[in-house]
Amino acid sequence: MTLTLRVILIICSLMSFFLCITKIKQSKLKIENSVVWMIGSVILILMSIFYERVEWISIKLGFIAPVNFVFFVLIAFLLIEVFLNNIQISIQNEKIKDLNHYIALREKEKKE
Amino acid sequence: MKVLLIVPAYNEALNIEKTIKDIKDNTDYDYVIINDCSKDNTKEICQKNEFNLINLPINYGLTSAIQVGMKYAKQNGYDIVIQFDGDGQHQAKYLKSLVEEIQKENCNIAIGSRFVTKRKPISMRMLGSFLLSIAIKLTTFKTIKDPTSGMRAFDKKSIEEFVNNTSLTPEPDTLVYMIKKKMKIKEVQVEMKEREFGESYLKPWRSIQYMTNMFFSIIFIRAITRKNK
Repeated sequence: MTLTLRVILIICSLMSFFLCITKIKQSKLKIENSVVWMIGSVILILMSIFYERVEWISIKLGFIAPVNFVFFVLIAFLLIEVFLNNIQISIQNEKIKDLNHYIALREKEKKE
Repeated sequence: MKVLLIVPAYNEALNIEKTIKDIKDNTDYDYVIINDCSKDNTKEICQKNEFNLINLPINYGLTSAIQVGMKYAKQNGYDIVIQFDGDGQHQAKYLKSLVEEIQKENCNIAIGSRFVTKRKPISMRMLGSFLLSIAIKLTTFKTIKDPTSGMRAFDKKSIEEFVNNTSLTPEPDTLVYMIKKKMKIKEVQVEMKEREFGESYLKPWRSIQYMTNMFFSIIFIRAITRKNK
C-alpha cells in the first residue's frame, strides 16, 4: 500500500467519522443507524494505520495486492449495508401502506 | 350470501360511470370503488353520483387498492369478493356465474377466464399468458388457462388470506400461492371487451418488468409456500 493511499484512507475515514457525529448532534441520524458507519470508518482507520497486518492477512488469503483486500472489505461492507437498507425500505413501505388503508377506511366510516 | 365487488379505479373518470351502471343494471351485488388517489376527477364523479367510494390518500398501486377492498369486505362481513376492473373491460352479466361456481362447486377462487371453451388468439400478450400458464403448471401441476384475467371471485377463506398476508398481489403468482395453500380454483368462461378510454397498465417496458417479476415470484417464492398444517 502506498503512502498516498494510506493518507487518503485516513482522511476519508476521519471525515466520515466526524460527519456521523455532527449529524447525530443535529439529530438527523439515529444512533442505531450511525453505529454501523462509525464502525466502518474505525475499521478503515485501523486498516490504514496497521497496514503491515493488512498486508500479512491479504497475502495469507491470496490477494495479489493488499489494496485489493482493502477494497474487498469495503465493498462487502457496502453491499451488506445496501441490502439492510433495502429491507428497511420495504418495511417502511408496508407501514405507509397500512396507514394509507387505515386513513381511507376511517374516513369511509365517518361518512356513513 | 353477501357479495362485494371491488372496483379499483385509477384515472378512470371516463369509464367509471358506465362500469357502475353496468353493475347496477345486471346484478344486485354491493360494490365499492377504490379510488387510488386519481389525478383526474374520478373522485368528484363518484361523489356526484353518490357511488360507494373509498378514497386512498396516497397512490400506492393496484395491489394496495385490492387489499384495502379486502379489509373493507372483512370488516363488513362479506362472504364473496369479486375483483372487477373499472376500465370497462369486464362485463357485469358474467358475475353471477362466478358466484354460482363458488357456491355449487364449493371452490375458494373462481376466475373469469376467456379461454375455457375458446382458444387463445395469437398475440404478444397471449404469449405472456401462455408462459405464465406453463410456469403455474410446472410449479403446481394445475392448469390455469387464463392466469392474467383480472376478474376473480374470492371466498371467505381466501379473503382472510389476503388480509393477513400483505405480500399477496392480485396477479398470477397469488394463484400459485393459493393452490399451494390447498385452495380450490375453478375457471368460468366469460367474455371481455377492449378498453375504450384511458391507458392500460401494460406498456412494452412495463410488461417485460411484469413478466420478470411474475416468473421470479412464481418460481422462487410462491412455489415453496408451506402448506397449512
